[in-house]
Amino acid sequence: MSDASVEKAAVPADHLPIWDDPHEAIYHRVSIDLDKCDGCKLCVVVCPANILELFGPKDSQKARLKGDANGCMSCNNCYAVCASQGIIASKPYDFAGFYEQKQISEFMFPRKF
Amino acid sequence: MDDIANSHDLEELECELDAAAAKAGRKARRRTAIHDIEPGADWNDVEHAILTRRSIRKFKGRQVPAHMIRRILEMGRFAPSQGNCQPWSFVVVRDKAMIAEMEQYCVAVCKNMTATIDYTNYPAGSEQRAVIMANTQKLNRENPNSFHPVPMTAIKSIANGRFAVFHRAPTVILILMDKRGVGVPEVDVGVVGTNIVLAAQSVGLGTCWIGFSKLLSSNPALVEKLGVQPPFEIAEAISVGYPIGNPTQQAISRQTHQIVWWEDGKKEILY
Repeated sequence: MSDASVEKAAVPADHLPIWDDPHEAIYHRVSIDLDKCDGCKLCVVVCPANILELFGPKDSQKARLKGDANGCMSCNNCYAVCASQGIIASKPYDFAGFYEQKQISEFMFPRKF
Repeated sequence: MDDIANSHDLEELECELDAAAAKAGRKARRRTAIHDIEPGADWNDVEHAILTRRSIRKFKGRQVPAHMIRRILEMGRFAPSQGNCQPWSFVVVRDKAMIAEMEQYCVAVCKNMTATIDYTNYPAGSEQRAVIMANTQKLNRENPNSFHPVPMTAIKSIANGRFAVFHRAPTVILILMDKRGVGVPEVDVGVVGTNIVLAAQSVGLGTCWIGFSKLLSSNPALVEKLGVQPPFEIAEAISVGYPIGNPTQQAISRQTHQIVWWEDGKKEILY
């Protein structure tokens, strides 16, 4: 699993986030299970933020994040197309000082009531 | 207000009407049966469409048959609206040259925007960065929705060609809003779009809402060419096509949101 979430910066109330500062513009990244990944490339193709790529030898390629690429919106389109359920986003993006996440809780799959 | 029957009287009325019909030998069903589903029941078709809908940004090249677009637009026609004012109309663009022209214009606007407001183009500590950041943060504060960090990232991606505004979809539906609509016509536009998007999902089409379609409004010549006349304005767009891969194979995980639940004089907080 490669969940590279970062600590949120402590910021004054009237501060606006700096878009390219990973401590202020926190896009929670996807977790990839390399054992499940079969290198089909569909997640790379559908990612709206274009932050995924394949790596490794040609016959056993796997998906990974492109370097320090930022921009994951936790849309989970990657999860939706993944036949082996090997990739998932489970946290929302967060911008220090822009606004605080309120009245919102953890990610959950559809529940049957 | 005495002449307005309460719900108990109305239920009695249904029964009486049916009883009278039965007595007269007429087949009349004025009552609708109540069928509560069992707790934990499987998703029905509508629920399934809602849960497997994804915003599709990578489409196959093939065009969608015209009748399928007409079919999903027809579902929009039966959307609820404030005062039943139906403050919408549509422009369907399936013409490659026209879509290219719309795309080109939006990209030009985004390029212009990044040049003037994207301080991330300049290295930390540089004077240009400081100057642009001051201007941008003022815009940020005045228009927190438009200049939210997420669209800023998208504007940058569009400007440097990393993704297309209309996602190279074969069909683009522009939803026009009649500005004279009852109440808040923007909400009605959202509702009509949701009908269209879910209907599309149910027939195997992929869709994506294109908020950047708003940019088109700043080009009066293009707006006129598209066939948009006042009092209508371009409110939203939906790209339609066949999705790449199978994004409907599984429902995804999403955040839960607070529900304040009032019942029997008590308030509960649920998620």
